[in-house]
Amino acid sequence: MPNGASARHTAAAGAQMEFETGRTPAVQITPRQRWSIALTYIMIAVVFAFGVNQRDSALNQASAYSNLEAGISAQYPARWLLEEAGPYIFRLRDMANRGFNTVIEVSAAPVGSDTSERNILDQLTLRRAQTLIDYAVLGYDVYHLADNTPAISMSYSYVSRDASPFLEGVSSIVYGLDILTIRRGQGLIISFRADADIYERELETLRWFVQNLVF
Amino acid sequence: MLPEIRRQSDPAPADAQSILPVWRRLSLQLAVLTAVCLVIVLIGEFLQLRFDARIERLLSLALAALPLVLWLLIAVLPEYRVARPRRRLLGVAAVSALTASAIGLPLVQDFLRVSEWLPLQSVIARALGYTLSAGIVDAGLKFVVLRYLIYPQGLRARGDAIAYAFAGAVGYGGLVCLATIWRQEPSWDIAAIYLLTNLAIQFASSMFIGLGIAESYFSDAYPLALPVNVLAAATSAGVITALVGGFMSGPLSTAGNVDRPLFAFALLAGALGATLGIVYFLFSNAERREREAYRGRWGADGI
Repeated sequence: MPNGASARHTAAAGAQMEFETGRTPAVQITPRQRWSIALTYIMIAVVFAFGVNQRDSALNQASAYSNLEAGISAQYPARWLLEEAGPYIFRLRDMANRGFNTVIEVSAAPVGSDTSERNILDQLTLRRAQTLIDYAVLGYDVYHLADNTPAISMSYSYVSRDASPFLEGVSSIVYGLDILTIRRGQGLIISFRADADIYERELETLRWFVQNLVF
Repeated sequence: MLPEIRRQSDPAPADAQSILPVWRRLSLQLAVLTAVCLVIVLIGEFLQLRFDARIERLLSLALAALPLVLWLLIAVLPEYRVARPRRRLLGVAAVSALTASAIGLPLVQDFLRVSEWLPLQSVIARALGYTLSAGIVDAGLKFVVLRYLIYPQGLRARGDAIAYAFAGAVGYGGLVCLATIWRQEPSWDIAAIYLLTNLAIQFASSMFIGLGIAESYFSDAYPLALPVNVLAAATSAGVITALVGGFMSGPLSTAGNVDRPLFAFALLAGALGATLGIVYFLFSNAERREREAYRGRWGADGI
C-alpha cells in the first residue's frame, strides 16, 4: 500500500475514533511528507531573508549630492526627493511618509564679525513664529559633527496643516532640530523636521546624513 | 481488509453528510461578501451617501467583522449538524488571528517597514517586494498554524485542508483588516475596498497553502510540492497587493488624486473569481487522479 493511502486510512480510522473519544489521535506522517515540511520551513526562511535584504538595500541605498558653489557634498537616502529651487542650498524629503514628509534642509546664513550662533537661531525663531502654527522652541544643546567639532542645536515643535483647506487633512505635530555651525565666515544650518510619532526613528537618518556631510 | 473511505460527493446514504462539503459554502461566502462590497461601493460612487463620522467608523468596523460572522453562520455552525464535524475550525481561526496580531503585523509594519520603501517602486518591484516581505510572512505564519493544528491529525478528506486553510484566512485576514480600518479610519466605501482587498489576498494565499497541504498529505507528493505551493501563496498575495494600489489610485490633478473604488473592485472580484476557479480546478483534478489511481490499484472507489 502506498504511503499516502496508508496515512489516509489511518487518518480516516482516527477520525472515526475522534468522535468516540473526543480527541484526535496522533497520526504518523511519511518521510516524504516530513521532508516536504522541512523544505517548506527552509523556503520560508530563505525567502524572508531575501525580503530583509531587499528592504535593507531599499532603505539604505544612498545617492551622492555635491554643490561646488556652496562647497558641500553629501550622501542622502536614494528614495528621498532632492530639491534645489528654494531659499536653501538643497532640501531632501521622504515622500513615502503618510502625512507630514520628513525633511532635511541645508541652508547658509551670512555671518558678520559680531554675529554669534545664538543670533542666527534667534532670527530663525522670529521668522518661524510668524509663519508656523504653535511654534515653540524646546531647547538648545551641543551636537557633535562628524569631525567631532561641536555645533549648536535647537529643537522645536509646531503644528503642520495641509496647504489646501479643501483636502480635509488632519494636522500633525512636527518636531524639528536645527544644527548650526559657523565656518569660513558662513553659517551652515541643517534643519531636520519629522512627524512627532516617527521623530525618534527618523533621527537616525539625520545622524547618518550629518556623518556623511562634507563642507 | 481496507477500511471504507468514501468521496465527499458520493451519494452513499449512510454517511453522505458525514463530512460537510466545502466548496459550495466557500463560494457562497465569497459571493455574499463581494455583493455587499459592490453595493457599498456603488452607493458611495453614485449616491455619494455620507454619514456622521462616528457612524461611518462603526459601519467600517462592522464591515471588517462581516467575513467572520458569515463564516460562522455558513461554514462553522453547519459543521455541528453533521456526524463528523471539523472540530478545529474555530481554533485555527483564533490562533491565526493571534499570530497575525503578535507576529505578523509587527513584523510587516515595524520590522520590514514595507510602507516606507515599497509604495513608490514600479509595479514589478512592488510585486516582488511584497512577495518577499508581507506575502511570505503571511503565508509562512498561516502555514505554521495549519501545520501544528491540523496537519496531519485534522485531515480526513481533501476538503478538510481547504476548509481549515479558509479558517486561517478568516482569522488572520480578519485581524489585519480590523487593524487597518481601526488605524486608518477610512470612509465606509473605502473600508469595503480594504475588506475586499484583504479577503482576496488572504483567500488566494490560504487556498494555495490548503492545496499544498492536501497534495502533500493525500497524494504523498514530491517534497517540493508543498514549498512550491506556499511560495505560490506568497506570490499571489504579493501580486494582488502590488496591483490593487495602481487600480485604486486615480490620475493626479490639481485637487490631488481621486480614488477609483470601482476599478479596484473589478480587479479584486476578478482575482477572487480567478483564484477560486484555479484552485477548484487543481483540487478536482488531484481528487480525480487519486480516485482513478485507487480504482486501478484496488478495483474500488476508494476516495
